[in-house]
Amino acid sequence: MFPYIALEIRRTLRDPTFLVFGTGMPLMMYLLFTNLGGSGSYDDWKAASMVGMAAYGALGSAMAIGTGIASDKSLGWLQQLRITPLDPWRAVTGRAISSSVTVLPTVLAILLAGGLVNGVRLAAWQWGALVLLLWLGALPFTLLGIGNGYRLTPQGTGVVNVACLMGFALVGGLWFPLGVFPGWLRAVGGFTPAHGFADLGWSTIAGHAPGAGSLAVLAGWLLLFGGYAVMSYRRSARTV
Amino acid sequence: MEFTAAVKTFGRAGSTVRAVDGMDLTVGRGETVALLGRNGAGKSTAISLLLGLNDPDSGTVRLLGRAPDRAVRAGLAGAMLQDGRPIPRVTVGELIRFVAALYPRPLPVAEALALAGVTEYADRRVDKLSGGQVQRVRFAVALAGDPELVVLDEPTAALDVEARRAFWVSIRSFAERGRTVLFSTHHLEEADGNADRIVVLHRGRVVADGSGEAIKRSAGGGLVSIDLAGRSTAGLESLPGVVGVEVRGGRALLRTDDSDATVVELARIGAVRGLQVGRATLEDAFLSLTAPTAAADQVKEAA
Repeated sequence: MFPYIALEIRRTLRDPTFLVFGTGMPLMMYLLFTNLGGSGSYDDWKAASMVGMAAYGALGSAMAIGTGIASDKSLGWLQQLRITPLDPWRAVTGRAISSSVTVLPTVLAILLAGGLVNGVRLAAWQWGALVLLLWLGALPFTLLGIGNGYRLTPQGTGVVNVACLMGFALVGGLWFPLGVFPGWLRAVGGFTPAHGFADLGWSTIAGHAPGAGSLAVLAGWLLLFGGYAVMSYRRSARTV
Repeated sequence: MEFTAAVKTFGRAGSTVRAVDGMDLTVGRGETVALLGRNGAGKSTAISLLLGLNDPDSGTVRLLGRAPDRAVRAGLAGAMLQDGRPIPRVTVGELIRFVAALYPRPLPVAEALALAGVTEYADRRVDKLSGGQVQRVRFAVALAGDPELVVLDEPTAALDVEARRAFWVSIRSFAERGRTVLFSTHHLEEADGNADRIVVLHRGRVVADGSGEAIKRSAGGGLVSIDLAGRSTAGLESLPGVVGVEVRGGRALLRTDDSDATVVELARIGAVRGLQVGRATLEDAFLSLTAPTAAADQVKEAA
């Protein structure tokens, strides 16, 4: 599995466009949203929106990997992998781990912008915990993106990933707090993976450990998306 | 250890195409076997069954005594699939090192590169190579793990004559290490020149199996042709020795296992016009075995 991770990380780093835009887009959105809307005067919202947007950026970077996977599939590379001794679970896990390379710079960029440009003040441990939690917590979305990539065409993957991303971000409360939604939508929002993910960050800036509920929700989605990715990988190698 | 690949019956559910339709085949360890067939004869499907990429609907496929996916997991197979292209943004050396690292007992990377003849561009990126170079890289991928069985699905399809010849030198030197090689091809002379044994597939079945010589004989060793001059072919098929009649460009082509007797009889009935007598080539044999009307199970010869 480690050779696979190394290979994929190397390939990703040779694609600077992907890295620059994957990181640049959410960063720009964060700076625009927080400085144009005039809501920048509330410190709480500054920190909370920083976490929300970092989560959104991480989510986007995590899922974007699916497009690359779909094009690998169209080259026949996934079939080629299937006839090596690399088993499906390791193939999917390895790909998920190597994908997180693109997630980290996105998270770092938005947290940096929050601290330096928007003046968000947090304790040192909170910054550390934020980076770590937002990085690792993106794993379910990586798996979802990968699963889509294994299953769909490159174009299809792009469209489906953007739809998932927007839906999750909106309903999960990454762009606007869940509190502004009607009751039923708020209830649904609490169970979305994106909300569980962002809650890791919100708990951190509130100074306490993430709630067991959020962790359970996130873990549930991790298993679900992981299973989906492995199933799609097995299917992807079939020729008929 | 004995390598056996007994590919058997299977029909695709939900569609009328039976790509592999009751196929029986056993390949021994160390053999070099060519899989011949027209487009759609079931070559690629048979290969996908053998490698565990698809499961047969019925019947069994065994690879080195185990289920294909387990044999693949154990690193016993390597393959060059049809239409596969290597991934961009890696160098040849990186790619081969990666593949080798997945196998339990790989070839040394330098040796794999040398065998496939890609040493000189090991540091170049795969997406910057020419078509022929890419084919060689794909061959290096197939053999990097030093598997017992290497499967090559139309390995030389995109190559010019010279590149093809060089490619076969590489493949033969790999086979000489005692490895089993199974390849499919459209080029008959390639099968004849490089395989110990040729298996002809037609409509998902094995219609001939043996050495190139045996297959030529099976289709009638001799070929006698005459100008028809507008006459019909009626009666020609019942001439002595004749096993098949075809019309090409106003000439009747008689495949026969006794050219002398056929010619004598043609002379007796006064049908000799522009007579030509020759030996059937593998191509003639192949065409008659896989003619759209050819009945399955027509010929079955032991290797």
